[in-house]
Amino acid sequence: MMKLVYAFITIWITCCTSASWIFAQSNPKIEFFESKIRPVLVQHCYECHAADSKMLRGGLLVDSRQGLLEGGESGPAVVPGEPEESLLISALRHDAFEMPPKQKLSQVVIDDFEKWIRDGAEDPRRSTTEVAKPHLIDIEAGRKHWAYQPLRTPEIPRVKNAVWPNSDIDRFVLAGLESARLQPSPDAEKIVLLRRIYFDLIGLPPTPEEINQFINDESPLAYENLVEQLMASPRFGERWGRHWLDVSRFAESMSLRGKLLKHAWRYRDYVIEAFNTDQPFDQFLTQQLAGDLLEASSVESQRENLIATTFLVMGDALLENQNKRQLDMDVVDEQLDVIGKGLLAQTITCARCHDHKFDPIPTSDYYAMAGILKNVQGLKHSNVSTTREIPLPFTEEVKRELENYDLAVTRLQSEVNSLKPKITGNGLPPVAAKDLQGIIVDNPDAKVSGRWSKSSGVTNHVGTEYLYSGTKGSKALYPVTFPDDGRYLVRISIAQHANRAPKALVIVVHDAGSQSFRIDQRKAPGSFNKERSDGYFQSLGIFEFSAGLHDAVEISVKDGGGAVVADAVQFLPVDNDDKVLDGLVPQVVEKLTPAEQQELKKKLAKLTADLSALQKRKPVPEMVNSVLEKSKSTDLKIHIRGRIDSLGDIAPRGVLQVANYGAAPEMPTNSSGRLELAHWIVDPANPLTSRVMVNRVWHWLFGAGLVRTVDNFGTTGELPSHPELLDHLAIQFVEHGWSVKSLIRKIVLSRTYRLSSARGDQQVDPENRLLAHMNHRRLDAEAIRDTMLSVGGALELQMRGATFPASLTTDVGFRFQAPRRSVYVPVFRCSLPELFEVFDFANPSMVTGRRDVSTVAPQALFMMNHPFVSAQARLTAERLLSESQMTTTNRIEQAYLEILGRGATATEINLSQEFLTSISDETENSQVDAWTQIIQSMFSTIEFRYIR
Amino acid sequence: MSFEKKIMTRRSALQQSACGFGGLALARLCADSVHAANPLASKKPHVLPRAKRIIFLFMQGGPSHVDTYDYKPLLYKNDGKKMPFDDARTIANTGKRGTSERVMKPMWKYKRYGESGRHTSELFRETAAHSDDLTFIHSMHTEGVAHGPATLFLHCGSTNFIRPSLGSWLTYGLGTENDNLPGFISLGPIPSSGGARNYGSAFLPAANQGTAIGKAGKLDANATIRNLGNADLSIPEQRRQLEFLQRLNAEQLGNVKGNTELEALISSYELAWRMQNNAPSVLDLSQETQDTMAMYGIGQKETDNFGRQCLMARRLCENGVRFVQLTSGAGGGASNWDQHSKLPQHEGQAKAVDKPIAGLLQDLKQRGLLEDTIVWFSGEFGRAPYAQNNGTGRDHNAEGFTTWLAGDCLKSGFAYGATDEFGHKAVKDKVHMHDLHATLLYLLGLDHEKLTYRYAGRDFRLTDVHGSVVKDILA
Repeated sequence: MMKLVYAFITIWITCCTSASWIFAQSNPKIEFFESKIRPVLVQHCYECHAADSKMLRGGLLVDSRQGLLEGGESGPAVVPGEPEESLLISALRHDAFEMPPKQKLSQVVIDDFEKWIRDGAEDPRRSTTEVAKPHLIDIEAGRKHWAYQPLRTPEIPRVKNAVWPNSDIDRFVLAGLESARLQPSPDAEKIVLLRRIYFDLIGLPPTPEEINQFINDESPLAYENLVEQLMASPRFGERWGRHWLDVSRFAESMSLRGKLLKHAWRYRDYVIEAFNTDQPFDQFLTQQLAGDLLEASSVESQRENLIATTFLVMGDALLENQNKRQLDMDVVDEQLDVIGKGLLAQTITCARCHDHKFDPIPTSDYYAMAGILKNVQGLKHSNVSTTREIPLPFTEEVKRELENYDLAVTRLQSEVNSLKPKITGNGLPPVAAKDLQGIIVDNPDAKVSGRWSKSSGVTNHVGTEYLYSGTKGSKALYPVTFPDDGRYLVRISIAQHANRAPKALVIVVHDAGSQSFRIDQRKAPGSFNKERSDGYFQSLGIFEFSAGLHDAVEISVKDGGGAVVADAVQFLPVDNDDKVLDGLVPQVVEKLTPAEQQELKKKLAKLTADLSALQKRKPVPEMVNSVLEKSKSTDLKIHIRGRIDSLGDIAPRGVLQVANYGAAPEMPTNSSGRLELAHWIVDPANPLTSRVMVNRVWHWLFGAGLVRTVDNFGTTGELPSHPELLDHLAIQFVEHGWSVKSLIRKIVLSRTYRLSSARGDQQVDPENRLLAHMNHRRLDAEAIRDTMLSVGGALELQMRGATFPASLTTDVGFRFQAPRRSVYVPVFRCSLPELFEVFDFANPSMVTGRRDVSTVAPQALFMMNHPFVSAQARLTAERLLSESQMTTTNRIEQAYLEILGRGATATEINLSQEFLTSISDETENSQVDAWTQIIQSMFSTIEFRYIR
Repeated sequence: MSFEKKIMTRRSALQQSACGFGGLALARLCADSVHAANPLASKKPHVLPRAKRIIFLFMQGGPSHVDTYDYKPLLYKNDGKKMPFDDARTIANTGKRGTSERVMKPMWKYKRYGESGRHTSELFRETAAHSDDLTFIHSMHTEGVAHGPATLFLHCGSTNFIRPSLGSWLTYGLGTENDNLPGFISLGPIPSSGGARNYGSAFLPAANQGTAIGKAGKLDANATIRNLGNADLSIPEQRRQLEFLQRLNAEQLGNVKGNTELEALISSYELAWRMQNNAPSVLDLSQETQDTMAMYGIGQKETDNFGRQCLMARRLCENGVRFVQLTSGAGGGASNWDQHSKLPQHEGQAKAVDKPIAGLLQDLKQRGLLEDTIVWFSGEFGRAPYAQNNGTGRDHNAEGFTTWLAGDCLKSGFAYGATDEFGHKAVKDKVHMHDLHATLLYLLGLDHEKLTYRYAGRDFRLTDVHGSVVKDILA
């Protein structure tokens, strides 16, 4: 943050300046002032805080009483009688401010100032000048600037040379030329135009076949047809999407520690797709600003809306900033910078600390817009804050996958469940009470006291679970109602296990008394009356019970050392011979042979593995770097001097007043206001948005905008060279549904676009603002790389998708090797490819509507020495040499066609032939080496680097 | 065929330059059309330069000033006592002031050195032998509580905005003295804390970008400028290829004369060729004697890496590089000066740089290079005089720390400014990082208020709207 030591905050107070303040010199308070206060002020403060200071700091004057009382931008410096309320004292103490900045004054002096203020701050000095008032921005006057004027449909100008224009664009341009007594250049040669339109529309050169086809196409609509064909190619979106990625400062990592924006590639794909499908530009902007707030008709469009909002979060935030409130405001500031410069060509962020110095943008406008964005969370805070990742809704396809997945998991799980008891535990599955004979009282019907827990881990139990307890004194009583008097065999199920109680106490209360048993619950139930055990129940004995309700069995925890199980109790009626009635045949455990067990274990292992493999394939939500609306939306207070701890009046959420016509957008209380902001931005009445985009497109096609400062339409920007043409195009752009393709088509079909770039002898208009000829433009980094890959034959045209591994944690040191188009090279802030760096790729931390164009030695070094260049040259050389039917001359001509998009001159053929013979013999190796050098030299020529 | 120039036309280049330079520079550019296209052509300074170049020894992570150069007897007296301090991190996180912290005395002994009797701890005993050549600023303070913001502030004068680095401003303002080498070189730049932004040109022309050699505090024996050599071709072969290329270019240029932009592109190949043939020998340390190497600690395990950085810095300076930055610290992990919990590790950090720095000072002096070279030693901030979390380390401290400069244009054996009696905050003759930036620009002949660049409708400065030259330290 800015150093704000000098800033005093603006709160204007009315104050008394009447003559009643005049005191006699004999006044001891005045004497105190004269001897103790005035000299200090003169010596230490006047340099920056007097009417004649070279530079007045913080709007504060201390050379008069009025100045001190009114104070500066931080408010009154002196409150008479209240030293603790006086900023002057706080500043002298080096608390709120540090004054004088270099060195604190002695405590004696500070004490003097406190006393002086406590005594009423007597001060005989009268003001000689007005205290500097902040200049107030006059919005209405500001609207006079051309860019804030409403769009006006201009009259199509009349031109003398009525046959020359192809379109209205040409009429505007020709009118300008005629009034300057200039002639348009001749039209570009067909072959020059061809290379131009290829690079401009798809960023790749025409192949020799495409060149021949076009040159030989005699149709009067050959060019129009070509334009349609190129605009329909998926390569178009890759070229034009990249332009927008410059504006939206697209990046996939932060410069802090190279932390990744892992999902930003989705935004890149979205942008490419938007240009390919000619998505209406108003909708495109709305999605980026507020996609998460839009209604969506399908999951696909909901996903697209969310992905578009990545736009908001790609700023290169200083995640490490410890003051998170400050960090939040910096994030908002960056978003406003991108929205301002990128969408409106306004330097809004100049108004963060003070009213804009040049444009009619008051600080209140800044905080009105900042308030909207402050209602949105872009980061998650911690010591090093992180960018926010939000799950995307599942696509219909994935939803179906998910359903299938759930089914498959359920099926496998139930197979596993049924198999498990057979080989684990006791090899017996749980039995239901209804499948058992006699009277069953299961644990849910027992009356329990103490602490019992439920389990079903050991499988040979009754019902869904059993109880266990290790807590002494815990009891389970089993109430049972006998229908008749009778004798019963009493049995308990114990779900035995090694960790059970060796001596669980079980008491049977029968008609003749009660009997205690100590059951070893570690062991399998024993046999009874020579019958084999059924594996579940331990028999206790035969007892007599009378009809009616009895608490017949009690299971309790008597001593420690293992858990006591209380599961089910069974009462089986017996006859007089103690034979069990009801034809009870104790279940016989079907023992598996070891081989069978082995078999089942294998089967279980496979099922379990299948299950866990399947679970790993569970469709997980795809993520997106996006924002989260806060639950409550509020307005923001003006941050005086941009300081987070120095708050002024509330700035109700809103938009740039100077560019707003009609009522200000209504800001909702239940959402941030981004949607309203977006609607205002794309409102046809907004004087900036359509002009800005039209001008960008013009810049991308001509190398210079009608307004050359493409990101700045403010008063410090340049004026449009053809204001009527700009408005004409902007109005048509909106009328044609914000179709970018229509706009591009209109421009490239104009005769102006098709002019030769030859300047002729003309001395007038050296900067070609009147467009007498096409501008001569530099090939950008992406086109240089893509062309070399394409000529070498290595270029892969695969579209979409992440282009770095999901496991990557930092961009530091990352190298991208795949020969895919440059738009898919990860834009890593800490490791941009060298080629991008040296050939003026857009700085991914800033809005870049217009790239630098430089000519420096590192570019030459790259072309001469980088292995990438020689590798592409070698591939090209090998391919040319493999065409055995070609002569050397053919090959040279072919290379010129492929690399420079034109045939070779006789001199050029000679030069290459001479070079070839001078350095190679007939051997294949030396031929390849020599041709590699020739191709690399062609890549290095000036013509390769330009679009004519 | 005919070529017309575009985009960065000469006129627009001139207009941009004209924002920062007066009519004189304009006239010079107009008079010299070849230079007009070279953004690094040497330019006229605003004021009489007192030095030509800077070697910046960046101590990444923040060395503790109270354990190295800022001697505070009260720390010994109050060692272990809990006392109230305004801890910057606590304030940033919670707003609380005056939290109770345990005073921790320096871990290393101090001695007075030289005629000037400046205090230095035993961490820098070899550098201290040059105390009489150094100018200490004990009242440094800067912005940013964490490394990222403070490191960016140190290099670019802003904690968060994308701004050009000091070295970029210097080459933008002064151009280069040697076309065969970059004007701004960063040795072993760190990947973190802003990474490349710390030697980036931001909105200045890209030619002012710093050139990195090595990375993360390391300068390997074979570290060099990228693309200086060709793997496939011998020098004569490559020369022949270049001549062929220039013939193709001449053919393309045809009869059009006086197109400076295209001529500049053609001449950039000649320039690259010269750089390719000259730079490697400048970067080749093996041309130095064994004695010189030993003086820098090259060949000794602890000091080898920084010794090579120092020696290369001297060689680059001799060859007219305007701004050379060296880096002690990898940018992350344990190998830097960021000792939150293990202050004793300062010992290893210091050991790695002390002898090489002493060697550099000695070498510059005996070669007369201190006459027009400034050596600048600084971290992005200092460290607190109390223990962090009651442990054995110190947290960051941006409110007071020490930096030193060396160079004949400065008062030598001189100490300026002071922190409070605990070494926590700068109190006397305070020097903000903006002030130091202004001073460094001034020493090289640039007025920090005039060195501006127009971007997005506004004139930007390294020092924003702040900074004043610390004239009291000038010789």
